[in-house]
Amino acid sequence: MAIPTPVDSYPSPTSKSQSETEEILLTHLPTDSGPSTSQLQKNSHLQFVARNLIQGFPVRYISQDASQPWLLFWTLQSLSMLQVVLDPNNRQRAIDTLLAFQHPEGGFGGGPGQMPHLLPTYAAVCALAIVGKPGEKGGWDAIDRQKMYDFFKSLKQPDGSFTVSRNGEVDVRGIYCLLSVATLLNIITPELVEGTPEFLASCQTYEGGFASASFPYFVPEPSHSAPTLLSSPRPPLGEAHGGYTFCAVASWVLLKPFIEHSPSKPLINTRLLTRWLVQMQGVPIELGGFKGRTNKLVDGCYAWWVGGCFALLRGLDEEAAYHKDDHEVSTNANEKDEDWVDDEEIEIDDVWNPTALQEYLLYAGQHPAGGLRDKPPKPADAYHTVYCLAGLSTAQHRMNPDRTRRKVLEALWDEKSENQTWWMKEVYTRSMSWSEAIGKKRTVLGGEGNRVNATHPIFNLTTTHTEGIMTHFYQQPTPPKRQ
Amino acid sequence: MSSSPIPYAEQPEWADVVPLPQYESIDPLAPILYTNEYKDATDYLRGIVKVGEKSQRVLKLTEHVIRLNPAHYSAWQYRCETLLAIKAPLDVELKLMDEIAIKHMKTYQVWHHRRLLMTHLLRSTETDKGLQTSSRSPAQIATSELTLIARTLAEDSKNYHTWSYRQWLLAFFSDDSLWERELDFVDSMLNLDVRNNSAWHHRFFVVFQNGVREGEEDRDRILRRELIYVKQNISLAPNNASAWNYVRGILDFNKLPYSTLAPFVQPYTVSHPDTLDDLVDLENPPPSRGAQLPCPAAIEFLADVYEREGGDSVLKATELWKTLGNEHDTIRKRYWEFRVKEGLRTIQAQS
Repeated sequence: MAIPTPVDSYPSPTSKSQSETEEILLTHLPTDSGPSTSQLQKNSHLQFVARNLIQGFPVRYISQDASQPWLLFWTLQSLSMLQVVLDPNNRQRAIDTLLAFQHPEGGFGGGPGQMPHLLPTYAAVCALAIVGKPGEKGGWDAIDRQKMYDFFKSLKQPDGSFTVSRNGEVDVRGIYCLLSVATLLNIITPELVEGTPEFLASCQTYEGGFASASFPYFVPEPSHSAPTLLSSPRPPLGEAHGGYTFCAVASWVLLKPFIEHSPSKPLINTRLLTRWLVQMQGVPIELGGFKGRTNKLVDGCYAWWVGGCFALLRGLDEEAAYHKDDHEVSTNANEKDEDWVDDEEIEIDDVWNPTALQEYLLYAGQHPAGGLRDKPPKPADAYHTVYCLAGLSTAQHRMNPDRTRRKVLEALWDEKSENQTWWMKEVYTRSMSWSEAIGKKRTVLGGEGNRVNATHPIFNLTTTHTEGIMTHFYQQPTPPKRQ
Repeated sequence: MSSSPIPYAEQPEWADVVPLPQYESIDPLAPILYTNEYKDATDYLRGIVKVGEKSQRVLKLTEHVIRLNPAHYSAWQYRCETLLAIKAPLDVELKLMDEIAIKHMKTYQVWHHRRLLMTHLLRSTETDKGLQTSSRSPAQIATSELTLIARTLAEDSKNYHTWSYRQWLLAFFSDDSLWERELDFVDSMLNLDVRNNSAWHHRFFVVFQNGVREGEEDRDRILRRELIYVKQNISLAPNNASAWNYVRGILDFNKLPYSTLAPFVQPYTVSHPDTLDDLVDLENPPPSRGAQLPCPAAIEFLADVYEREGGDSVLKATELWKTLGNEHDTIRKRYWEFRVKEGLRTIQAQS
């Protein structure tokens, strides 16, 4: 059944490590006689996560000293997906710890006294979305949004990109973090993101996925004026990569309102992207896990970075779906068809194999001592735990931009809130409309007891936490609960 | 660790610095259990940053922190600002960083630091004020960087940061003498591992994405050269996604129809191709004897050829997609079903 990846009698370092991995993964396939391994060991994962939270992280985490907000975000978001809420005392400690990362000049650093940086800024704000609340000591109102905006502006480059910190590197992770925070906190503006879509588009490689960044070529000006940015070539730096692809595609979805209003209307190649995404899913002998690049090994974290992109594909086509009337949808599905394909329409987020991904995560992703991991025999860690769980979530829950929900939010929109702009309502209703698709439930492998909470395809926060922080910063009424 | 270093508090030259602990008034949640040495060094770094001191000893302190935790971006940032502020010789810095780069090649910061050094070195050689920073020409500096990168890639042939640094360096210096040796470098990397996707991407970057360099004006010749190169590599090891993505990439980039490659691809789509062994056809190298056929990537390619032909050929494409979904590539069954649906819809739209 599980056939080894062909080597064509021509072994190379890639095929050798591939074969070694396949041999190990094979031993994790469930057997008829062996114990059932298809249960999500929620209790031992909870203990793993809680131990880090309360006792602290062991000494090897010194390498994450500049990522302290991430350690908190990974831990808190793991708890959220495992449906666990922190007690009030630890919740307040979390808020106080997170606020200690805020820099006096705006943004958050990797720890107290560290320079502000886009990545920890995302992690801190998302962690505050989970544990914070409005009012004194709640954390949300202690975020200095004006200084945050100024910090963001100070990082802007002539090619539409942003450096991750003062004199830091440019890459799409930083852009994703900036756009997520700017959206959640209601500080996004057309001026801030001008040229950013063009930069993102230039990072798509010939394979279809996205690279870390691109190189801007300029025509030097003879006088003292600034050099002119060339529209091409702006070659991608590095190959197509799962992490960067998630960041670029999620950024693109967040930028849609601005792209649709821009005169140049930059494009990305969705067809090529979709092909690359499906090619990243491992074959049965790899238990259907995802890899992050062509000819690399499967790794649990790409369950989210790549597996999570399929929901985002719906966001790319959001406007078409929003304006398409229901009648048209039903006639389209009435084609004369072959017997092996059922009559139903195949949506773009349904072109992958979520059940196989759940197999990888349950059989190979779980460490016997608690926590989740890259692949056996590696140890578990905080990073892989949250992204394996998020991957499991995206394989269990089908999240869509929901037209009906968006109409509800539009009807509720309070025009009287401060400083209204043309984009505020659009940014808010689009991000808030993501809901679980009704009627098209996915298989939860191993039974209902394995279910984890749904997570927002863009922010990786639960819908409850997304709604909480967004209604606050957009000064909007709490929307009604979903069915 | 052989011996633990002397704490900063016991070193007279640091007596004037007030160390700044990380957390003063709160009991942090999920703290890291630091070593004493790390805690000591970072307390002093926070103390230094607070007063804004930029001096020689800051270089020693930041180096200490970086060696303990190379991902400490604030230490790197402060180090770079200090180097520039005290006009430290950047060549010396570069040499010191060689060892750290090899040792910690997986961190962003080691490579970004080199980019900043390159930017400042080039700027200073251009303005002729840089005699104290480097006695070497830009091309010499860049060449020794390429050598260091090659050494790093010899240890980790798919290191993302290293490859993207190499690409940045080539584009940044944009010197013909640097570019002209790149294809040999790619070739040597692919000879070591024909499945190294980073090397294939680098080839695409060099050949197609940085304008046309001298001696490469005849684009048809370049394209023929690349097609022969990739076809020969497919023939060696047909089930290599990197090579198939490369060939698709160059056809897309040059807006060439996929059908031009149909005669080459066809033998790879069947279990027992009836190619004539004694006929050496450079344009269409046959699958090697050890090839495991049929090759799903070849079937996908041929289906794309049929789909683009339109008309009745689309039906031939849907048949191929079905064999992929049912037999040769079952994990992607839904994707192949999706392609069948799309194909049938175009047929319907045409009729």
